[in-house]
Amino acid sequence: MKRRTAIAALSTAALLAWLPAARPADTIDVLDVGVEPSADGEAWLLSADFTLSLSPQLEDAVNKGVTLFFLVEFELLRPRWYWWDERTALATQTHRLSYHALTRQYRVLLNGVPQAYGSLPEALDAMSRLRAWRVMPRDRTRGGVSYEGWLRLRLDTSQLPKPFQITALTNRDWNPQSEWKRFPFTPETPRSAP
Amino acid sequence: MEAVPLHAGDPSKRTVTRALRYALFVSVALAAVLLAMLAVASGNDRLLESHYGLLLGLNVAIGIALLLLAAELARRLWQRWRAGLFGTRLMVRLALAFVVMTLVPVGLIFAVAVQFLGRSVESWYDVPMERALESGLSLGRASLDSLLVDLQAKTRSMAGELADVPQNQWAPTLNRMRERAGAQEAVILTGSGRILLASGGGYANLLPDLPSPAALRQARGARLYAAVEPLEAGAGGEPRGLKLRVVQSIPLGGQLGEEPRFLQLVQPVPPQLAENAEAIQQGWRDYQQLSLSRAGLKRIFRITMTVTLLLTVFSSIAASFLLAGWMTGPLSMIAAGTRAVAEGDFRPVKDYAGRDELGVLTQSFNAMTRQLEEARALVERNQHELERANARLASVLANLTAGVIVLDEDFRVTLANVGAERILEVGAEAMVGRRLDSVPRLAEAAPQILEAFAELDEGTHLGWQRQLAFRRDAPGTERRAESRPDAAPALTLLVRGARLPSPQRGWLVVFDDVSEVVSAQRAVAWSEVARRLAHEIKNPLTPIQLAAERLQHRLADKLPPAEAELLARSSQTIVNQVGALKLMVDEFRDYARLPAARLAPLDLNVLVQDVLALYAPIEAAGGLHAELEPGLPPILGDASQLRQVIHNLVKNALEATEKQPRRAIEVVTEPVRRGGSVAGVRLVVRDDGPGFPTGSLARVFEPYVTTKPKGTGLGLAIVRKIVEEHGARIDAVNRSDAAGGTVGASVSLLFTRLAKSDDNCGAHTTLETSQPPVVLPVRPAKS
Repeated sequence: MKRRTAIAALSTAALLAWLPAARPADTIDVLDVGVEPSADGEAWLLSADFTLSLSPQLEDAVNKGVTLFFLVEFELLRPRWYWWDERTALATQTHRLSYHALTRQYRVLLNGVPQAYGSLPEALDAMSRLRAWRVMPRDRTRGGVSYEGWLRLRLDTSQLPKPFQITALTNRDWNPQSEWKRFPFTPETPRSAP
Repeated sequence: MEAVPLHAGDPSKRTVTRALRYALFVSVALAAVLLAMLAVASGNDRLLESHYGLLLGLNVAIGIALLLLAAELARRLWQRWRAGLFGTRLMVRLALAFVVMTLVPVGLIFAVAVQFLGRSVESWYDVPMERALESGLSLGRASLDSLLVDLQAKTRSMAGELADVPQNQWAPTLNRMRERAGAQEAVILTGSGRILLASGGGYANLLPDLPSPAALRQARGARLYAAVEPLEAGAGGEPRGLKLRVVQSIPLGGQLGEEPRFLQLVQPVPPQLAENAEAIQQGWRDYQQLSLSRAGLKRIFRITMTVTLLLTVFSSIAASFLLAGWMTGPLSMIAAGTRAVAEGDFRPVKDYAGRDELGVLTQSFNAMTRQLEEARALVERNQHELERANARLASVLANLTAGVIVLDEDFRVTLANVGAERILEVGAEAMVGRRLDSVPRLAEAAPQILEAFAELDEGTHLGWQRQLAFRRDAPGTERRAESRPDAAPALTLLVRGARLPSPQRGWLVVFDDVSEVVSAQRAVAWSEVARRLAHEIKNPLTPIQLAAERLQHRLADKLPPAEAELLARSSQTIVNQVGALKLMVDEFRDYARLPAARLAPLDLNVLVQDVLALYAPIEAAGGLHAELEPGLPPILGDASQLRQVIHNLVKNALEATEKQPRRAIEVVTEPVRRGGSVAGVRLVVRDDGPGFPTGSLARVFEPYVTTKPKGTGLGLAIVRKIVEEHGARIDAVNRSDAAGGTVGASVSLLFTRLAKSDDNCGAHTTLETSQPPVVLPVRPAKS
């Protein structure tokens, strides 16, 4: 019996040790967010500012050539009186950060646009400013209705090389993500069409 | 006959229920599949790679499920252990053996594998390789840097030349200089990045390649920007080569306030060089990634191995329980069967399906159970018969009027029947276990009995027979309230003794109360004597009387007066005495020739009143008092004989109290009830005379026993004879007061032959009806 109890205790402890820790450290935060119509009036553009810093481990990984993918996720919900809210829009955007050792440059692919920076903070700075992201067509929303917008920025751990995925499962330093930032959004009633 | 179920109708008691078993099977199967997938995913399969986390989670979940199952099984086993259920020890031992048998090799393999994998992963990385890659990277950087320095020098000289040329001459100069420098593209820009002049450029690009704002900013600040940049991204966003870009401010000395001008040269890195450098960089990067992911890789392997280990261990634990349960199941079944047999349930256990030794065992067990049941039925039947025989014997013994006492070798009483209790008037408790000479009533006769047994031992006879008489009233005996308050009549017992046959050495004493038989024999003898005596005496009496009368008649006149008077007196005496003798002889004859009673229903009260009418003067004087209970049931009796009985008794009482100035004689009739119904009628005659003399009380009813100066002693004898003819019981006692002094005599008659609706049977009713029904069985000695 004692043997069995000991085995059970050991295995339980081992399992517990592997479970993800409570909540990653706040290395990413959503600072500001705003939605405004595009110039042509066809779409809603989202602009946001983030604070974005990398843990030493991630920085090391980047400097050793690991490509990081960051995911900006946006959701627009219309609250309903019953449990489930209506999801009006869902949009994601992927940022890619990699280090080019030959030229000692940090390359960033911001929504498909490549950029190169001489230092990591510059590259992160570039990624932390989100400007004029077409998140949804204008006609998706109705004027005067109260919506809830949700926005967050996180490291896409599923695109990490496999060994790091396992690490990311258990190590919060390897899994930075911001809290979901909730912001109210009430489109104005469209005036007469321009 | 229904078969005993495996666990006697309590499936919850089973260690491995069906649901648990299925859960185990499913879990183990699932674990195997997941493990296989995890193992594949731990390799480099692209398809499963992205689901590695999910797989791992599922494996862990299955592991937890198995652990819970194993824990549940262990808990049930523990409960069984605590409850002390049969088969648990074996089950635990088997389960532990299985667990150890799997745990040790699996643990060993696990340890070796982890060690081996850790070593081999570490061995992929070595310092020389890393240094080589670093060096290659440095080489690439150096060659690129030298190209860049070269381009920088060219740009600087071009910018210097341009500064000397007026601005309107820049266009041809720029073209010339670009061709001379061999640059791909040369552009002159303003500080804000506006293009002033462009030269060259790929045919694919209509627009010249502009510096990035950051580059321009740097150029503005440091007057120079030089960098190796990736070529424009292709379709996949991956740069396909490298280019050199230098931005140099054109020194327009003194022309302050004017917007600064910048010269930009862009030169692609030769493809060969770029490719090689890129390859080195790629290699370096892969190596770095690998070395960085070393820990992660090891962790993956370790996790996979650990999960494998745990799944294997848990599965084996669960399987060990299943196996143990499977092996001990039939044992439990047989155990349940054994318990059932112990509780007297002889149903066979359910046949075990297997064809192995356990199946044979089950069959043998069933055969044994069957035989056992048959044997038990036989024993029960025998015992039943024995009990019946015993009960019969006990009932016979109890109903025996004779007393039976069984003695052991030391003459201790081991058994005494109801008859013995009744005759000796001693409870069985007072006899059983005691030596013969310490039994209350028998103590007196014990020496004689022992002596008889001693003689028996010497002789060859099988038994002995003696008639023993001893006093009834032994000290310490319970006295009967009225019938024998004083000296009880002597008890005459006919005692027979025998030796018990050998298996149970001991002695048997059988005795009968023959007091009444002896008394009756005496009475018969007396009546015979009386008859003969009467006959012999009566014959000469009449001649004597006649002779005396004739003597007087003839000689009266011939004698002188004195002699004549003597003669007359003597002859008168002779005649008188002869008359008295005749009367006595007649009485004797009457006693001897008492006619048989003719029984008919009659009312005792009427009879008593008839007789008492003769004593009306005495009754009127208060000397005689009748107390007759009305409504007595009629009895069966001979009226004339009973009248004589009452008459005799009353006369006796009167004679006993003759000399007293005051006397109080009571004649009482009363019903005797038993169990609510009238069982008999009692007639009591009491007087306040001197009572019967002590010692003769036992013989007052025998002929010629009298206390009166005049009397034949036949009155009470006749009474008794009549009473016996009526099947009634007579008792004579002395009445005593509280101080123990005698205050009178009392004679009571108990008639138990009542005239019922069916008179015919009345004549045959025997004395037994007045005796208590036999309820006590023979009490054996304490064993």
